[in-house]
Amino acid sequence: MKRLLLTAAIVMTGGLAQAAEITILREVDSNNYDPHKTTSRAASEVLFMMGDTLVSLAPDMQTIDTGVAESWSVSEDGTTYTFNLRQDVQFCDGKPMTAEDVVYSINRWVDPETKSPVAWRAGEVESVTAIDDYTVEYKLKKPFSELLYQLTQSFGTIIDKDTVEALGPDFGVTGFNGTGPFCWSEWTPRDQMVISKHEAYDWGASFHANTGPASMDKITWQIVPEENTRTVGVITGQTQVTQYVPYIALEQLKASPGVEVVQSDLAFWTYFMGFKIDKDTVSDPAVRQAINLAVDQAAMSEDLFFGVVQPAYSYVSQEALDWNSDLDDQLLKYDPAEANRILDEAGWARGDDGVRAKDGVRLAPTAYVFAGSTWGKISEAVQAYLREIGVDMQIQAFDATVAWGKLATQEFDMFGMSFPYVSSGDALNLYFRSQNVPSPNRMNWIDDNTDALLLAGATAITDEDRQAAYGEVLEIVHDAAVWLPLYHEPMVIAQSTDLETVVPHNIYGAGLYKGLDLKFRE
Amino acid sequence: MIEQILKRLLISIPVLFGVLFLGFGLLILVPGDPAIVMAGPTATPEVVAAIRAEMGLDDPVLVQFGNYLGRVLQGDLGRSLISNKTVVSELAAAIGPTAELMFACLIWSVPLGIGLGTLAAVWRGSLVDRAIMAISVAGVSLPIFFICLMMIQYLGVEWRLLPFIGRGGPLWTIDGLRHIALPALSLGAIFIGPVARMTRSSVLEVLKLDHVRTARAKGLSETRVILRHGLRNALIPVVTLIGLQVGYLLGGAVVTESIFSFPGVGRLAVGAILSSDFPLAQGTILVLALGFILINMIVDILYVLLDPRVQA
Repeated sequence: MKRLLLTAAIVMTGGLAQAAEITILREVDSNNYDPHKTTSRAASEVLFMMGDTLVSLAPDMQTIDTGVAESWSVSEDGTTYTFNLRQDVQFCDGKPMTAEDVVYSINRWVDPETKSPVAWRAGEVESVTAIDDYTVEYKLKKPFSELLYQLTQSFGTIIDKDTVEALGPDFGVTGFNGTGPFCWSEWTPRDQMVISKHEAYDWGASFHANTGPASMDKITWQIVPEENTRTVGVITGQTQVTQYVPYIALEQLKASPGVEVVQSDLAFWTYFMGFKIDKDTVSDPAVRQAINLAVDQAAMSEDLFFGVVQPAYSYVSQEALDWNSDLDDQLLKYDPAEANRILDEAGWARGDDGVRAKDGVRLAPTAYVFAGSTWGKISEAVQAYLREIGVDMQIQAFDATVAWGKLATQEFDMFGMSFPYVSSGDALNLYFRSQNVPSPNRMNWIDDNTDALLLAGATAITDEDRQAAYGEVLEIVHDAAVWLPLYHEPMVIAQSTDLETVVPHNIYGAGLYKGLDLKFRE
Repeated sequence: MIEQILKRLLISIPVLFGVLFLGFGLLILVPGDPAIVMAGPTATPEVVAAIRAEMGLDDPVLVQFGNYLGRVLQGDLGRSLISNKTVVSELAAAIGPTAELMFACLIWSVPLGIGLGTLAAVWRGSLVDRAIMAISVAGVSLPIFFICLMMIQYLGVEWRLLPFIGRGGPLWTIDGLRHIALPALSLGAIFIGPVARMTRSSVLEVLKLDHVRTARAKGLSETRVILRHGLRNALIPVVTLIGLQVGYLLGGAVVTESIFSFPGVGRLAVGAILSSDFPLAQGTILVLALGFILINMIVDILYVLLDPRVQA
């Protein structure tokens, strides 16, 4: 009888833990796992584990390290990169990786036929050629100082031509063949992605404590849309890792035995509201400055996000590569009296209803935001702050499937957005180039000087020149108060104490990067 | 019998057509542009326009519906806009888990509901009767999501008896059984109440009838009277109710599957609708409607088996 009860208890409580298999919970799935056809964070999370890039990025988000390339050199004019590849790299199917695979991968990425939404991240490619089996020459039409940083992203994943051709449109849907620490096992969209250990892998970058093979035999990425279910999933040990827990639950998680919460000091995911600067309501720089002074980001961080996020006054993290530290003392911070003074001085007078107006224009900008709890509470807090200075912001929230289309129009005065980046230049080139109007440059910021400096930064050959050019752009756009920065989101990972403490990585918000550090404690 | 089944099948055709039209119409009316979903957020307006033309979204709605109907009749439900997998394959993967969930829910809740209802009828007015009816009212009144969350809170988190995330495997495996337990318990909890109440009132009715009195007069044991002569005759309205309720269970499964991350048709439908994955959403609506029709047909057949007068 005792034995029977014991057996039943083991069955009911899940039996003995399997040594090297973990489940990672997340909120949403990707639309596919083809590195050139998706920009979702969910895809990057898995692609970093299933594939490799030419070079990799250390957790400090500044240091470029080896990838499948063990060394590289850049020509004096900054247009030709020569990558020397490791000779021991092989795909999951056992095929050795050669320069031809790198050439194929980059060419597919930039080929207009592929329609990659992020082909620009590869620079203006003139040619990518294999000099020999293990040497690749990457030629650009003009220098691109961001290239190495961009090549660390999952979009630059090296893929196997034969698999792509064999699977056709099902590549990244029914199969994948990469050189990462894990291999594709099975994908059930919106439910599970299962990857298994790549036994031959031992070419991880030196910043990983374990350079390979991975300690985990199998990783299951499980989609759990309910945030409470994800939270109690970690507490009860049904999952070992998740980075998608509500901030309100962090204290509870920290207090739970068997759970460890790891947080990165870096925060390379920024939330902001942008102004469409040619709209009557927000075309006056005084209005935009006043709005920046009216919002208390520190209080929002404490009250809405339990102090987990970093209040943002800068458009990119002040830890980001090429941030202009001269601006540190000039950033606009909460000062409602000054905001009111600026608006009074600029001639925006309060009407009977307390809302300011000037020359027949009422300060009631329309803000488009994403529907959902995050942007709901952010926009309502901003709305309340702006009422204090006589600005009556109107909120219109759209479901994500509709919002992207609405945000490509000229209908709104302000918009809410968040984005990941690897460096200042990465963020600035995406949002402030005049050729990116109407999207993602939804501010209609068209400025020749900005364009010239962005080009100078992008084509700089030395670090100093790049830093100087991007620093100047940061100064111009901050002076013009084109955005209202809100907060920088740090990487927070809740994990089981059965695992060694993971090293959170900020690259594209994919907190576990290669997954090489995932390991059960001994 | 066969004639009856054929008649039911024929009646189902216009119902199915109506469901297809309504499902199609609703998805046309809700906001969200499938072309933008396909093109991705950074696509230019030209690319979106080209995709819209390619998908036939510029055609009049009736033409689009006609084309859709033509494809459905050939068994082609299209491809998911999100995963690029065929809708048929996505549905095929999800139907099994939902069927398992239904089975696991009914296998315990129907006998329990009938048993409790019969006990309440036999001990009418007693404490047992009142307790059973209180449980039934609670089961009918509590929203399914609340029951799910309570199951997670107590059986999953406080007492750590059962897992509450995902499927774990097919029903016949230990892992599958453990994972399906909480969703099946939650879903079944809302089923017991109506079944118990209907059984109680139906058994009470039957127990008053002459043939029961005759059976008792013949000296049969009370258990035999109730089971053989009372319950069997009382089951016809209960079966009707079960049939109707199983249809509503499909709706409950949408919530249950979402909360427990159980990969069935209900969760697939929610995901498809929320992500504007129109072909998949239409496919899931079609399958859920077919399920409803099929269940009603099974109920009709059961009538015939239980009550020969229906056949006549």
